[in-house]
Amino acid sequence: MARVLVIEDDRRTAAEIAAALGDHGFDVECAYNGRDGLLRATAEKYDAIVLDRMLPGDLDGLGVLATLRTIRTETPVLILSALSAVDERVRGLRAGGDDYLTKPFESVELTARLDVLIRRHAVPQRETTLRIGDLNVDLLTREVRRGGRAVELLPREYRLLEYLMRHAGRVVTRTMLFEEVWGYHYDPQTNVIDVHVGRLRRKLEEDGLPQMIHTVRGSGYVLRAAE
Amino acid sequence: MSSVRLSDILRTTSFRLALLFLGLFGAASLIVFGFMYLQIARYASHGMDNWLHTELASRTETHSSERMRQLNARPVTDPEGRRPIALFDAEGRWVAGSQATLPSPMPPLDQPFEFVQQRGDEIAPFRGLLHRLGSGDILLVARDMRDIRHITELLVKAMGSGALVVLALGLTGAMLTGAVALGRIDGVTRAIERIVNGHLSERLPTDGRGGDVNRLIHVVNRMLDEIEQVMSEVKGVTENIAHDLRTPLTRLLAGLERVRRRDATAEEAADAIDEAIVETKDLLATFNALLRIAEIEAGARRAGFKTIDLITLASDVGDFYEPMAERKGVTLAVDNELADAASLSGDPSLLFEAIGNLVDNAIKFTPAGGRVSLRAFRRGDRLGIEVSDTGRGIPEGERDSVLRRFHRVDKSRGAPGSGLGLSLVAAVAKLHSFDLVIEDAGPGCRVILWYPDGAAGANSPGSQRPVLSDEALTGPQPRLA
Repeated sequence: MARVLVIEDDRRTAAEIAAALGDHGFDVECAYNGRDGLLRATAEKYDAIVLDRMLPGDLDGLGVLATLRTIRTETPVLILSALSAVDERVRGLRAGGDDYLTKPFESVELTARLDVLIRRHAVPQRETTLRIGDLNVDLLTREVRRGGRAVELLPREYRLLEYLMRHAGRVVTRTMLFEEVWGYHYDPQTNVIDVHVGRLRRKLEEDGLPQMIHTVRGSGYVLRAAE
Repeated sequence: MSSVRLSDILRTTSFRLALLFLGLFGAASLIVFGFMYLQIARYASHGMDNWLHTELASRTETHSSERMRQLNARPVTDPEGRRPIALFDAEGRWVAGSQATLPSPMPPLDQPFEFVQQRGDEIAPFRGLLHRLGSGDILLVARDMRDIRHITELLVKAMGSGALVVLALGLTGAMLTGAVALGRIDGVTRAIERIVNGHLSERLPTDGRGGDVNRLIHVVNRMLDEIEQVMSEVKGVTENIAHDLRTPLTRLLAGLERVRRRDATAEEAADAIDEAIVETKDLLATFNALLRIAEIEAGARRAGFKTIDLITLASDVGDFYEPMAERKGVTLAVDNELADAASLSGDPSLLFEAIGNLVDNAIKFTPAGGRVSLRAFRRGDRLGIEVSDTGRGIPEGERDSVLRRFHRVDKSRGAPGSGLGLSLVAAVAKLHSFDLVIEDAGPGCRVILWYPDGAAGANSPGSQRPVLSDEALTGPQPRLA
């Protein structure tokens, strides 16, 4: 079970985050100030850290992060912030953060992003093919085959599929897809991504093949091997 | 000016300045007067000494018998003894001439000296000259100094009364100036207090004349105009926000109360919770959008700015929205009229969002069968990006107000969206110093973002494809300088 350290000064928010992560199957510990958080993060081994950007006292979120990175603790850090200003994100990532999430956020968004962070950290991506059930993707030739039959995809659709396959079995949110596949950072607040995924889905499930891309209500998608 | 107090006047700058000038003027006058006084006094004593010497010389030269005659006639020729001439023997005893006594000890001979003599009831100052004659007798020639003293006294008196008049006038003037200034400042202060208390339409009073203070007041009044306008806009925005958020909140509350009232089954309760979640998310999204716009509007910070290729940006937006257009039955065409790479400095995500909002709106308001086009072009040395549609267009009178928060062209109230899309576009345009122009495309609407003059075409080698992800920040391969 993945261990996650939540450093958040507001105890109610911390409790909500802990509950959401616990429900998702993480083993969660909380620290309520920067000093305590830094102490724990260096003393014990965590798979990921959820770090509030604004912490009271002399050690704020970015301070904790900078210290961690200085002493070469490479635990992935997801920064939570009430500041959504465009360059706050840049600042957070420059300080060594691996991802940045603006409050208020949905719990699915947080857990899905943490999943990705922990996995990215654990598994080096060196494979040349991805295979989920009867779906095969050749990463070198960009050929997609389902049950032996070639599927023709547009470049953007291919990137969507690749991302979904790399995180097969896990929820990826619309915002994550938008960031990864289109490369822009904001919450598009539109169902355009659903339309894109719908197109990909139709191509994969042509001729009545069983469904692989499932919609998770209100949050995103998950790709699973067809039963 | 009713409440003007003396102590307040004394503290005004005007009064103190006036006082300072009065002091300086007084000091200068004193110096001039002192100089004049000294000159006059010196001239007078000089003239008197001359007279003494001349008189003495003429008496000395006269024959002794003739001199005795003149001396004996002296009480007659000079009955008041103002110009006494007298002869004393070697021991200093009076022999002949005017009534006079030698001061003792005897002053040096042939040098003017001052002494006093009894004249009637008073003791009068005299200036005299002594000379020893061949016979050993001593001749005194002297002159009453009261005339000269009188003249200089008159002079001092005239100067003194003049100074008093100047002082009185000066002080009165200073007080008046102070009072006027105080009254003016009181007026301004009262106006400011009324403004502070919420009367934003109040303005600082001017007296209609020119001058530095009036100029300052004019500038402050212009500033107040500006502030008042901004405040009324903010007020409008606040009202709009409250209005637009009340509806979903009411729906949310009604839904939750309904489940509570009706003893709902688990399934109904779950549905209600889902509905509530959707409503809440929408509300959150609206708040987030508002916050974002506020942050973008306030942002002079441009840490997220990179070199962006306009063509890439346009085709990315087109690519993203194309499926949505297709589903609606609208053609989305991306026309690139730029021959070469056209790079500009900006925040890629914000520009994508802004252009995306324009395209999203255009698709929304264009009926099936219509056409939306996204065009990047160059006119002279200006870059432009244009989104046009064949929809209903925006009436001319509303083209400014659509940029305001929550404004929706009335007929589209039913259409989805928060009414914040164009406000965000305006905010992003402002952050990037773009000109945002809304035109009639006849039919339809055309929105153009003009990249500022001369700033375009700043191509640097090796930056033809901008970095649109954060790899440049976190990854090992920095692609941009």
